[in-house]
Amino acid sequence: MIFRISPLALLLLASCGQQEAADIQLSNAWARPTVGQAPGAVYLTIENKGGEADRLTGAFTDHAAMAMVHQNEVVDGIAKMRMAGEINIPSHDRIEMRPGGTHIMLEGLRAPLRSGDDFDLVLKFRNSKDQTVKVTVTNPEGQ
Amino acid sequence: MTSYRLRVILWVLVAIAAIGGILIALQPPSPPSRESDLATIGGPFTLTGSDAKPFSSARLNGKPAAIFFGFTHCPDVCPTTLARLVKLRRQLGKGDDAISIVFITVDPERDGPAEVGSYAGLFGAPVTGLTGKPADIERVKKQFGVFSQKVEQPGGGYTVDHSASVFLMDRNGHFVATLSPEEGDAVALAKIKRLQA
Repeated sequence: MIFRISPLALLLLASCGQQEAADIQLSNAWARPTVGQAPGAVYLTIENKGGEADRLTGAFTDHAAMAMVHQNEVVDGIAKMRMAGEINIPSHDRIEMRPGGTHIMLEGLRAPLRSGDDFDLVLKFRNSKDQTVKVTVTNPEGQ
Repeated sequence: MTSYRLRVILWVLVAIAAIGGILIALQPPSPPSRESDLATIGGPFTLTGSDAKPFSSARLNGKPAAIFFGFTHCPDVCPTTLARLVKLRRQLGKGDDAISIVFITVDPERDGPAEVGSYAGLFGAPVTGLTGKPADIERVKKQFGVFSQKVEQPGGGYTVDHSASVFLMDRNGHFVATLSPEEGDAVALAKIKRLQA
C-alpha cells in the first residue's frame, strides 16, 4: 500500500476555493489461480483523482459467495489475516494492493479461479457510486 | 475449630508449595530456544504425501530444501511465499533440482493429500505438498518451532495464524537459516546460494 500525497496536489487543493468530489478509478485487478474450496485474493489499484477523500466500504462479485476486504500482517513472525475496516482513499492518491498486505478475499468461489479467466468485481464506496473492475486470473512470477 | 481448620489448610498449602519446588528443581533444564541452538530445529519426520502415502523426510536428503508451513485456505501469504520461492529458485539458475520446495499444511483437518497436492501444483514448478494426521503435524510443528492457531472468522469458517518464515535446510536435512517475508530478494537469494556450497 502506498500513501503518498503529492505536495503539488495539496497546493492545488489549498488554492481551490471549492472541492471537487472524489473521482475513483480502478485498475490492475488480478488474482492468483485457486484449487478446490480454497478462497481467492484479488489485488488492485484504487486511485482517487478527485479533490475529496473517499472510503472503500465493501466488495462483491457474482463469482463468490462473499468478498471481504482483508488485511494481512506479520507480527513477531506470525502471519495474521483479518477483516479490514473501511479503507481510506485520500484525494489525489492511490492505494496499491499487493500480495502480503491488503487484498479482497473471495470466499465460497463458484468455481476455482483458473489462469486466463476473468470476472467482474464491484467495489462499494462511501461517497462515489459502485465501481466495477475486471479481475484477471494470472500467476505472476514471484509476486 | 475454625483456627484448626485454617491451620490444616495452611499446612496443606505449605506441602503443595514444597512438592512443587522439588518438582521444579528436578526438572531438566528447559530446551534451548531456537535462536540459541539452531541444531534443535528440524530433524527426521514422517508425514503424508499428496499420493496419500507416507513421506519420510529422508527423501529430502541429498539436496537442500526450503520448508514452509501454511494452509491451502490461505489466499495471500501462502501462495505469495511459495511463488517467491519458485522465483528465487529460477533466479538461482540451476534448475528445479537445485533445491526442494516443501509446503506442509498446519490445517490437516481441511487439507488432505489431494488438497495439498493440487495446491502445490499451482506454482508452475515442482513443489512438494505434505499433510498428516493432526498429531503428526503437531509433532513436526514442534520440531521446527512453528506456531499456528485457528481464528474464527466473522462470516463463518476460520483462518489460521501461522509462522511466516521459511526454513532452509542443507542437503543433510540440517537447519541453516530462515527466510522472512520482509527481507529483500537479494538477501534471500544469497542465503539460498550458500546452501548449495
